[in-house]
Amino acid sequence: MILRLDHEVITEAIPVVGYLHRGLEKLAEARTYTQVIPYTDRMDYLAAMLNNLGYVQAVEKLAGIEVPERAEYIRVICAELSRIASHLLFVATFAMDVGAVTGFMYPFRDRERVLDLFEMVSGSRMTVSYMRIGGVAEDLPEEFLPTLKKFLDDLPACIDEYNGLITGNEIFQARTKNVGRLDPQVAINYGISGPVLRASGVYYDLRKLRPYGIYDRFDFEVPLGKNGDCFDRFVVRIKEIEQSARIIRQAMEQLPEGPIMGKVPKVLRPPKGAEVYHEIEGAKGILGFYLVSDGSNRPYRMHVRAPSFINLGLINEMVRGWKVADVIAILGSIDICLGEVDR
Amino acid sequence: MFGQGLLKGLQITWREFFNKKVTILYPEQRPPLPPRFHGSFRLDVEKCIACGICAGACPNRVIKMDSVRVGKKRQLTSYVMYMQYCLFCGLCVESCNQEALHFTQDFELAKYTREDLALVLAKAPAVAEAAAAGQGEGEGA
Amino acid sequence: MLENLFVAIGDWFNNLGARAGAPYWGDLLELVWILVAILVFLGLGVAMLVLLERRVAGFIQVRYGPNRVGPQGILQTIADMVKLLGKEIIIPRAADKVLFLLAPVLIVVPVVMVFAVVPFGKDMIPIDMNIGLFYFISVASLTTIILWMGGWASNNKYSLVGAMRVVSQMVSYEVPLVLSLLGVVMLVGSLKISDIVRAQEHIWFIFTQPVAFLIYIVAACAEVKRVPFDLVEGESEIIAGPYTEYGGMAYALFMLAEYGELILISALATTCFLGGWLAPFGLTFIPSWLWFFIKLHIMILFFMWLRWTYPRIRVDQLMHFGWKVLVPLSLANIFITGIGMYVYRALGW
Repeated sequence: MILRLDHEVITEAIPVVGYLHRGLEKLAEARTYTQVIPYTDRMDYLAAMLNNLGYVQAVEKLAGIEVPERAEYIRVICAELSRIASHLLFVATFAMDVGAVTGFMYPFRDRERVLDLFEMVSGSRMTVSYMRIGGVAEDLPEEFLPTLKKFLDDLPACIDEYNGLITGNEIFQARTKNVGRLDPQVAINYGISGPVLRASGVYYDLRKLRPYGIYDRFDFEVPLGKNGDCFDRFVVRIKEIEQSARIIRQAMEQLPEGPIMGKVPKVLRPPKGAEVYHEIEGAKGILGFYLVSDGSNRPYRMHVRAPSFINLGLINEMVRGWKVADVIAILGSIDICLGEVDR
Repeated sequence: MFGQGLLKGLQITWREFFNKKVTILYPEQRPPLPPRFHGSFRLDVEKCIACGICAGACPNRVIKMDSVRVGKKRQLTSYVMYMQYCLFCGLCVESCNQEALHFTQDFELAKYTREDLALVLAKAPAVAEAAAAGQGEGEGA
Repeated sequence: MLENLFVAIGDWFNNLGARAGAPYWGDLLELVWILVAILVFLGLGVAMLVLLERRVAGFIQVRYGPNRVGPQGILQTIADMVKLLGKEIIIPRAADKVLFLLAPVLIVVPVVMVFAVVPFGKDMIPIDMNIGLFYFISVASLTTIILWMGGWASNNKYSLVGAMRVVSQMVSYEVPLVLSLLGVVMLVGSLKISDIVRAQEHIWFIFTQPVAFLIYIVAACAEVKRVPFDLVEGESEIIAGPYTEYGGMAYALFMLAEYGELILISALATTCFLGGWLAPFGLTFIPSWLWFFIKLHIMILFFMWLRWTYPRIRVDQLMHFGWKVLVPLSLANIFITGIGMYVYRALGW
């Protein structure tokens, strides 16, 4: 990021992106629909299940495939676990950006438990490629649900620890309160979404407003912030961890038996000329997949609406007028994932 | 800056000081791996019918396999996986109908040279020669 | 016997000279012995402290610290030293060569000089000056200008900003540091270090001057540039501030000075507030220098505990806190101490 300074105060900030560009959208044009799934993991690699979910739901919309109930519930559990993992990482890196190195270790220790759960279910920790078009790859192993239950039971104590160590710390509050204030109208104009928007007080969560999958069956709240400063963005994400845990508990109770894969043809050929744009509430914001089909078993065009890329466009507006030390706090609080910014 | 927040932070770090450590002393202790772990690969050569579905399923064209027709069946002559391109996604293992390709729990896959990275799972040139000699007009290989 | 071990060795050196008929040589030998002892203490202490810091950091962060090199990682600092010795000290082309190389060399000097007034045990102050405390504070603040010299000589915009921050931070926090120690001096009535320790025979000053102790801890943390005040080296545009252009042994010398300063402020805290080498509860079977050692390490561990818990504060918040909060508080402390002393004397206790 190029910063133009006036003594210690910033006049302009220009993010320079593209250093992690891997050409995933172009690569997807040469792969079949199932082969693209491992590539979607690698965009927002911190919350891989959510990327998978968005993509497979887009393809299912394109080809008109039904997903069985059990697969839907498993998908919700994995997606919310992924959201918890991403927010835990945000807590850790934000604490480290502000200076508390120990605040980096404790959320990572808890994120390890989520990654262990992913390993148990899919074999990989971060780039899971667990979901398939029409369902999920494999059923849950037996030790998954008890381990998940134990993790959810331990989660409130962990969150108390983060609140005690980081959120309640006066030094941290002095660094982040009233820093990087975001006006809700400005946020809407820039197309911001996700926890950044919700921290400014705008009630916009796709899981509530345009429910996809089976999210309309769950009862959860959407935490909102008041001021739109860094502290609010931090607290909103911690509260979202709690709400995700609530969703997982309900999904665990309602989990039915049944097949985990729907009726999918051997070779998937969506109708020619069909196009679809499907959005889900990703961990960083609204994650959208735009797919165009030309009748073959490969997508003709895939475009990803990456929330981090769009949220990053706001940095110039938010950072102007603050000091250099605040830039780090503000940039950290937007929570970008560079894999997503560059794809 | 007089406040409970600072003291609470100190309390938490004091407590964590005496807690059990979460790291393990590798390489003396190994991490416990689940059965589905995506490690290295293992091929059951007897079960493999050399259909080539795994090579087609791979997003990165990691698998290179050769086969030769012996009578009615196809036999595998060479099966190499170029691990520098592998995503460890598991699409190949999932696509195998005969359940010949499996994951192992081996994660220490670092090598010293680029040539060593090619994981040779089956190499049977004798089969190819026998097929070519036995058939007269050899096919493939 | 154990109590006077080091003093006895020093006296033996002195007697060597006296018996040979040249008492000045005896004094000289004794001084050399003291110097060697201090340097060994400083060298080994810093080596152990580097490792201790990393192990303590690891334990607080629920992981092991370095424990591979040598049993429990004791030889880790030696490994680091060997690595740093092998590195090239790159001098930037536009840098002021003389000042650039002079800064790391000079920065160790005030640190070692201050050790002359640290009371390691009973009768074990190397030089017992009448103005011991004054000497301590004044020489310790010489590091400010040397750091600034290093940052300036690097000719790098990040180093310059870092150096400016160093100067502003250290100068602003000298004032509350001195004012908090003034409370102690008022109670003792003298600046001599041995008097300060002896005045705590009945009760340690941490109990009679708790506010001064808290102010001292905060100000001393800021003086040594440790978290939560390490914006000098941790943050300055993310690069290492005035230490940016230094590599290899020059960097090692800066780190030596930093850990030496940590030992010094902990030593000052134990001297002025924790009773120095006096044994609590009358447990005199442990020698005085061992008590000092234990108390020193309690303070060092406390500073490390603070380091690994708190985030950093921003430059303007630092100045605001130093001038607008700590200085009035320490002045109030002096005021109340004065009133307290007057009342104490008037009541005839």
